[in-house]
Amino acid sequence: MSMGITNINNMAPELPLQFSEDLLSTPMFNLIHSFGADLHYAEAHIGKTTRMSRYERLSTDGGQLDGSGIDPAPEVVVRSDIDATMEIYAKTVVINEQVTLYENDKVLTKFTALLGQWMREKEDLLMRDLYASSVSYINAVGGLNGDQPSNISRNDVNNIERILLGNDARTMLEQNDAMDKFGTAPTRDAFIALASTDITPDLQNVQGVLLKNAYPHQDGLRPEEYCSISRFRFFVSSKAAKLTGASLSGANVYTIPMYGLEAAAKIDQNNYSCVLGYRPPYVVSSVAQNSQLYAKFAIARAITNQNWISGLNVTQGL
Amino acid sequence: MPFTIITQDSFVSTGANYKVNLPSSADYFVTTNITQMALAPATAVVIRGEWYGNGLTAINDGIRWKKTNSTNALNIDTFATATASNGFTYVTRSPYVEAPVTGTAITAANPAVVSMTNTYQNGDRVRLYSTTGMLQIGGMDFTISSVSGSAFTLLGLDASGFAAAATNVVARRISNLDPVEPEFLYVTKVSLANPCVVTVSQAHNYVVGQKIAFQIPPSFGMQELNRLRVPAVITAVGTYTMTLNIDSSAFTAFAFPASTASPTAQLFATLAPAGQSTQYQPLALPVPTYTGYNFNYAPFHTGQFTPYMLLSGGAQSPAGASGDLIVWQAYKMENGPAVPVNLAP
Repeated sequence: MSMGITNINNMAPELPLQFSEDLLSTPMFNLIHSFGADLHYAEAHIGKTTRMSRYERLSTDGGQLDGSGIDPAPEVVVRSDIDATMEIYAKTVVINEQVTLYENDKVLTKFTALLGQWMREKEDLLMRDLYASSVSYINAVGGLNGDQPSNISRNDVNNIERILLGNDARTMLEQNDAMDKFGTAPTRDAFIALASTDITPDLQNVQGVLLKNAYPHQDGLRPEEYCSISRFRFFVSSKAAKLTGASLSGANVYTIPMYGLEAAAKIDQNNYSCVLGYRPPYVVSSVAQNSQLYAKFAIARAITNQNWISGLNVTQGL
Repeated sequence: MPFTIITQDSFVSTGANYKVNLPSSADYFVTTNITQMALAPATAVVIRGEWYGNGLTAINDGIRWKKTNSTNALNIDTFATATASNGFTYVTRSPYVEAPVTGTAITAANPAVVSMTNTYQNGDRVRLYSTTGMLQIGGMDFTISSVSGSAFTLLGLDASGFAAAATNVVARRISNLDPVEPEFLYVTKVSLANPCVVTVSQAHNYVVGQKIAFQIPPSFGMQELNRLRVPAVITAVGTYTMTLNIDSSAFTAFAFPASTASPTAQLFATLAPAGQSTQYQPLALPVPTYTGYNFNYAPFHTGQFTPYMLLSGGAQSPAGASGDLIVWQAYKMENGPAVPVNLAP
C-alpha cells in the first residue's frame, strides 16, 4: 500500500496569495493648521476676492466735557479691510480598466478616499504656508544650544504671551479645571501654538511643561495635541513649517505660530469647498479603457489680525 | 497620445533667470534660442537646451547644444561642464533654497557689500548666516544688487553703525517670493521723522494704502511702533522703503543690537501685512483719486506658483542673453516609467 502523504509540496494551493480582510492604513500627517482659523464663506458670481473688515477701536484720550458747551472733536472711524484671493486646487487619478478589473480591492472607492485625504492635507499645508509667510516671528533666545534662534524655553513662550496679551488678544481654548487625580494639573484658558514634531523632545524639556496625559481629563482633546506650556497648548505635525538654513549657524529653523481668537481666516467658496468627481471611460478614453477621478477645492486664506498672532523661531536642542 | 506638448510659449530674454510655471509638471523640457540659431555666435553660446525629468537631470544642469565659433556645427555637452553655464532647475515647492556658498566679508558700510564668489544675479534673494562679526543679521533674507562674480550689495542694509565688518558669511539663494504674499519683511532701519520712513532688507511689493503691523523686540529700541491702536498705513513706497502715516520724531531710536549681544539678544524686527485702507477722494483735483488698492498684490494670495522650471539666464544658459528670443516647450508623458518617489509634502 502506498504510504504517500498529500502535502503542500505535492499539492500546492491553487492560489498562492490571499487578500487580508482589510487594507492597511494610509499614512496621514496631523492636520493642525486649519482648526484654529475662523471659517468664512464666499458666494459665487461676485468676484474672487473676499473682503473682511474690522472697525478699529476709538481713542480713549480726552473726552471730558468742561461745561462750556463746546463739543469734543469728532473722531474719524478707521476701518481695516483684510482681503483674500480665492484659489482653486485640484488632483486627479487616471485608472486603466484592467486595474479596476483585476485589483483585489474596489480601487475607485479607495482612490476616492485617497483624493479626499489629499484635499484635507493640501488645505492644511496651504494654511501652514500662510502662517509661515505672513506673520512676524521672534527668535527664541532662552535655550542653551548656542544658536540664534535657540531651542525653545519657558521665557520665550512667556514673551509671546506678553506680546499677545499686550495686544489684547483673546485665548481660544477654555481652561481645564483641576481634578482629584494623581499626576494631573489644570490648564489655563490658552492660546494655540503649532509646532513641528521635530522639536517634541525640546517641548518636553521646557520648564513647567504639562504633557497631554497630565491634563485633568482627556475628553474632547484632539489627537494632535502634545502639551501645554504656560498659556499655550501645543499641537504638533510632521509637516509644520521649517525654514532651511535660516539660523545663525545655518541650521533649520522651525516657526511656531502662536495665536488667539480671530487671528486668521480660512474662506470656503460656497459649493466649491470640496468637489469629488468621476469621469467614465467613454469620456476619458476613445476605447473606453481609462476612467478618471478628481478632487477640487477652492480656498482663500488671510491673517485677519496681526496683533493677535505672533510666534517663535526655534532650532532643535542639543 | 503617449507624449504630449502640454504648453509652449516664447519670451525675449533680459539676460536674467526666467521662470516658467508648469501646472501639469513636465517630463521633458526644451528651449531654443531663435535669435542665436540664425547667427554664428561665439563658442559656447547655447542654441538649444534640454531637460529630462524623473531625476535624470541634476539640479541646475541639462543638455546644451552650442555652436562652434563662426560655423554652423553644433556640439553637445551638459551645462554643468562650465562654471559660466547654468542650466535648468525644476522646482516643486516654495521657497526653493539653494546650496550654500561661502563668502569672506560684509562691509560695515551703507550699503553693506558682501564679498563672495558667486553666480547670482541682480534682484535675487539670499539668506545669510554664519556672519562672523556681524551676528545680528545672521539668518536674515536680503535682495542683492550690483552683483559681480566676486561680490554683491545689500541695498536694504545700512551697516555703517555696526561695530565691525563681518569676516565670514554663508549665503543660500532662495525664491524671491514666499509661498503666500504679502509676506512679512525684516526691518533694518526706521527714521525718527515725520513722516516715518521704514527700510526693509529686501525689495518689497507693498503698495500705497496697505496697512502694516510691527513686531520689534526690545533689543532694537523703538517700542512705540508695537501695539499701535490702528495699523500704520503706507503713504509712499520705494524699492526698499515705505513711508508711513506716523510721526516717529519723538520715538526711541531704532538700532540693531550689537553683534556681541548675540545669541541672547532677541531678533528680528519685522513688519507684516495688516490689511489695507482703501480711500476714495471725490474732492481731489484735477480728478478724484482712488488709492490704497492693488488687486494684484494687496489680497492674501499664493506668492510663488509651483511647480515651475527655472531657466538660468546668460548667453551660455537656456534663458539666453539680453534680447534673445527664446522658445520653450514642456512635454508630458501619459504613460512611461514610474515616477521616482516624491519626497515633497
